[in-house]
Amino acid sequence: MSQSPIVAAQDLVRVFGEGDAAVRAIDGVSVDFPDGAFTAIMGPSGSGKSTLMHMLAGLDRPTEGSVTIDGVELAGLDDAELTELRRDKIGFVFQFFNLLPVLTADENILLPLSLAGRDPDPKLHEQLVAAVGLGDRLGHRPSELSGGQQQRVAVARALISEPAVVFADEPTGNLDSKSSDEVLSLLRGAVDEFGQTVVMVTHEAHAAAIADRVVVLVDGRVVADEAPESTEQVLDLMKQVAA
Amino acid sequence: MSSIALRNLGARKLRTFLTALAIVLGVMMVAGTYVLTDTIEQSFDKIFTESNEGVDAVVTSKQVVETDDGQEPPIEASLLEAVRGVDGVAEAAGTISDPQVAIIDPDGDRVGGGGAPTFAFSTTPERFDPLEYPEGGPPQADDEVVIDKAAAETAGYELGDEVTLAGKQEASRYTLVGLATLGDIESFGGASIALLTLPEAQRITGKQGRFDSITVAGADGVSQDALANRIAAVLPDSSEVETGEANTQSQQDDVGEFIGILKTVLLVFAGVSLFVASFLIFNTFSITVAQRTREFAMLRTLGANRRQIITSLVIEALAIGLAASVLGLLAGIAFAPVIGLLFDVLEIGLPKEGTVVETRTIVTAIVLGTGLAVLAALVPALRATRVPPVVGLREGASLETSAGRRRRGLVGLALAVIGIVLMALGLFGVLSPGEAWLGVGAAVVFIGVALLSPRLVRPLASIVGMPLQRLSGVAGRLARENSIRNPGRTATTAAALMIGLALVSFVTVFAAGLKGSVDKAIDEGITAELRLSNTDGFSDIPARTATAIEGVEGVEAASPYRYTQALIEGDKGFLSLVDPATVNDVFDFDWREGSAETAAGLGPTDAVVDDNWARDNGLGVGDAFAVTTPSGREISYTVTGTIKDNTDFFGDYFASDANAAAYNEADNITSSFVRLADGADEEATREQIEGIVDTGFPTVQTQNRQEIKDSIGDELSQLLGVVYALLGLAVIVSLFGIVNTLALSIYERTRELGLLRAVGMSRRQVRRIIRYEAVITALIGAVLGLVLGVVFAILVSRPLADEGFTLVIPVATLLVLMVLAAIAGVLAAIAPARRASRLDVLDALAYE
Ligand SMILES: Nc1ncnc2c1ncn2[C@@H]1O[C@H](COP(=O)(O)OP(=O)(O)O)[C@@H](O)[C@H]1O
Ligand SMILES: [Mg+2]
Repeated sequence: MSQSPIVAAQDLVRVFGEGDAAVRAIDGVSVDFPDGAFTAIMGPSGSGKSTLMHMLAGLDRPTEGSVTIDGVELAGLDDAELTELRRDKIGFVFQFFNLLPVLTADENILLPLSLAGRDPDPKLHEQLVAAVGLGDRLGHRPSELSGGQQQRVAVARALISEPAVVFADEPTGNLDSKSSDEVLSLLRGAVDEFGQTVVMVTHEAHAAAIADRVVVLVDGRVVADEAPESTEQVLDLMKQVAA
Repeated sequence: MSSIALRNLGARKLRTFLTALAIVLGVMMVAGTYVLTDTIEQSFDKIFTESNEGVDAVVTSKQVVETDDGQEPPIEASLLEAVRGVDGVAEAAGTISDPQVAIIDPDGDRVGGGGAPTFAFSTTPERFDPLEYPEGGPPQADDEVVIDKAAAETAGYELGDEVTLAGKQEASRYTLVGLATLGDIESFGGASIALLTLPEAQRITGKQGRFDSITVAGADGVSQDALANRIAAVLPDSSEVETGEANTQSQQDDVGEFIGILKTVLLVFAGVSLFVASFLIFNTFSITVAQRTREFAMLRTLGANRRQIITSLVIEALAIGLAASVLGLLAGIAFAPVIGLLFDVLEIGLPKEGTVVETRTIVTAIVLGTGLAVLAALVPALRATRVPPVVGLREGASLETSAGRRRRGLVGLALAVIGIVLMALGLFGVLSPGEAWLGVGAAVVFIGVALLSPRLVRPLASIVGMPLQRLSGVAGRLARENSIRNPGRTATTAAALMIGLALVSFVTVFAAGLKGSVDKAIDEGITAELRLSNTDGFSDIPARTATAIEGVEGVEAASPYRYTQALIEGDKGFLSLVDPATVNDVFDFDWREGSAETAAGLGPTDAVVDDNWARDNGLGVGDAFAVTTPSGREISYTVTGTIKDNTDFFGDYFASDANAAAYNEADNITSSFVRLADGADEEATREQIEGIVDTGFPTVQTQNRQEIKDSIGDELSQLLGVVYALLGLAVIVSLFGIVNTLALSIYERTRELGLLRAVGMSRRQVRRIIRYEAVITALIGAVLGLVLGVVFAILVSRPLADEGFTLVIPVATLLVLMVLAAIAGVLAAIAPARRASRLDVLDALAYE
């Protein structure tokens, strides 16, 4: 794949704290995410996965290094510009608390567009609603939905604005395996059908296995960057890394 | 972990601060009122003590009717000889001290603007003279005057200048021969002094051959009591004697009574603020306790019992309450002069020297503030600890059951009804004192509506939130949803604002009705084209003003009019004295029985009575009623006619001024109504009248009907302004309530805000949500308040309806109030919105 990457990180370093207490959560990471690819970021707890994702998504600023999204260098943007970038070019799925409790499922899906004051593409909206499979619960509040349903709504919300990239931080971390599969296939479908670029942080091998590529972090560094075909291969990869 | 702990602490600090602020504001007004009134009282005490130095006994007339103008009937000068003859009297002097004169400045205006009186004093022998003369000395001749130093400075007079004084005669000119001060007292609160020789003081006040009092010094070895007893023996029934000390005391008591009224009025407004503040305190404790439900549940699973948790909460409230009360007390001491400014606006000149902080003030402030805090904490504490620990541990556990909510609504409805009934009972005199019950009823209504209002929040939020949602889509929608999320919380916050706005709109509606009724009464009842009255708006003018203009070309009649007080059938009441010969030229009575001839033919003991008063007293034409005049004369009046007197312009009755002297009103009148001859040139006639008045009677103004209406309107708006200012504090307190609720809600919704920011909500949009939420809350409060205010006005004006009071609802003004409330909401949202928009997205997203 030789086209220019949607997201590119160069020599990222993120240090928390100062002096003796300083933690280098990300310690020199350069990684590209090409258009239309589904990438999983793996690694043990505390290895810096979330920190990396936050910097890639413009939620946190790196101590050193640079991030570009869709050709835009994030370092030069102020808060308002970063916010607009997140709204228009990035979709988010978090592990918990993805939805606003006071809005209905459908309103939650449309939230990024409402914030931008834009109307949804009706075809896409219909397609997403169908894919989420909520049926008549679309008008319900999140508290009336199951955890899996909530995460699917969150995925639809991330996709509605046709963002350049979707970042998902442990989107299945809280789900049973059936719900988890549904969420993963939604993401996979977006990549296959719309050519959506997806970056997903996970520590679950079976989740990582549906990605096209797995980047493994340990202690804030990239220790592996491969394209395993199955859950077994992912597990093997993790074993190698741990060794 | 440590960052979370720190954030908790930060949030706790905020909560503590906001709770404390409510208490501080509430206590401030109470403490400020006490400090201010105590200070005024002490300043007066000092003035009276100082001016009575060297006086062992004082002889005055026996006051039969305490009139509101503070005038006491004079005593006969012949009494002085009798007093001097009493054994043990070392020296006795007749004195004049009359509050109805004015020092005219070089521009022809009265010094001090008429807010505080100017006293004409007569010179007294050295030993009685309380004055010091930094320049010159007491007047020796009848054309000499001494004025107080402050007045001289205000007017720009210097020794040797010609000073004009206006009293009950034509204004006279004097040479200024001295400046006076009263000991080290700097200010009499705007009051001034003009010192004249005794004969001149008697002349200008219309008291020739009479004194206001006789001051007596006893011989060595004669006690004040003994002296007073001996003097009493020689006095006629119409006069009395007091010891010097008792006289000082009774002057202090008189002023104390007046200040007591001021104090009560101010305390009522302070009470309103405190009442509003208690909503806020209650709300803050409710929210913070709810936020800590999990903490308590955790403590309970660790073995803490209910009592321990309640106790710890109460101790917390006690500590906050105590600290806040002390701050409130200090704030009140600082705030007292600000309240004092209100008197200046109303031109009530009162001396305010120093700062008096009585123990009572300290105790009241602290007990009130601490007590309220504890009470407000107790309910939520009981409620929170009633939740079983397992339930409490769940996130978002609700403290209220729906049955509880329903019960609350019913109790609210019941209270609102009971409150209205109490108001009505107070209003129609079933419960007394009426005003107190009216107030209690209103407070009960407020509590009732506040309890009821959670059920109104949802519909009201939909109505007022709809335009906002139209305006800005998702921000408006979120604001509306947020405001109905905790209906109880929004309701209590809005209810606090409701109280202030209900009272504001009540007085607005009521004042509009009053103004309309007065205007109508003037238009329909007064046929005179002009009125001469005192420039200060309330004092009398010399009776000679009316006669002085009689000869002016174009004047058909100048009818003297006196509005005064007497004991009528045993009760102090108001009445009018008119000139039967001209009264029909200037007034158009609304006769029930009788006619213009009845008024023209009024004999000295005939009276035309207000038909309401006649009905209340079972009187009809031909019946007699007894009146004791301020001079002590008993007059039996015969009813010769009845009128309908809207706005109670004439008082209980009107009678002929043939008996004016009996009412001590021979030389002064309230106003003179002028009827112009047919075809007279109003402009030219008025100019002539003003020419005469300006030189001879500088305290007299000429007004046409429109100007009379305008000046009444001005007075009313001034009073209204002061009432608004006093209610303003309550409104400000309630705005802090909005700030408070928003800040605490934002803290609760940190994560939601983080999510919104992550998915692309701009800071501006965040601010907008918070702002709209505040506006929605404020508008809910405004709608409830305005509705209640109008309801109160309708209720309170019921008994006045048959006196011609017509209620007009000033829709435009009410709409303005609504807009102001919305703007206030925007202002209240500034700080919380800022805070919310500055949230660090990652921090906010970080889960525990
Ligand atoms: N806000 C922060 N302040 C201090 N240290 C942090 C902060 N966020 C993350 N860290 C530290 O950075 C390291 C990486 O954290 P994180 O990116 O959350 O790991 P992962 O998502 O892989 O579990 C950890 O050691 C964590 O303690
Ligand atoms: Mg993580």
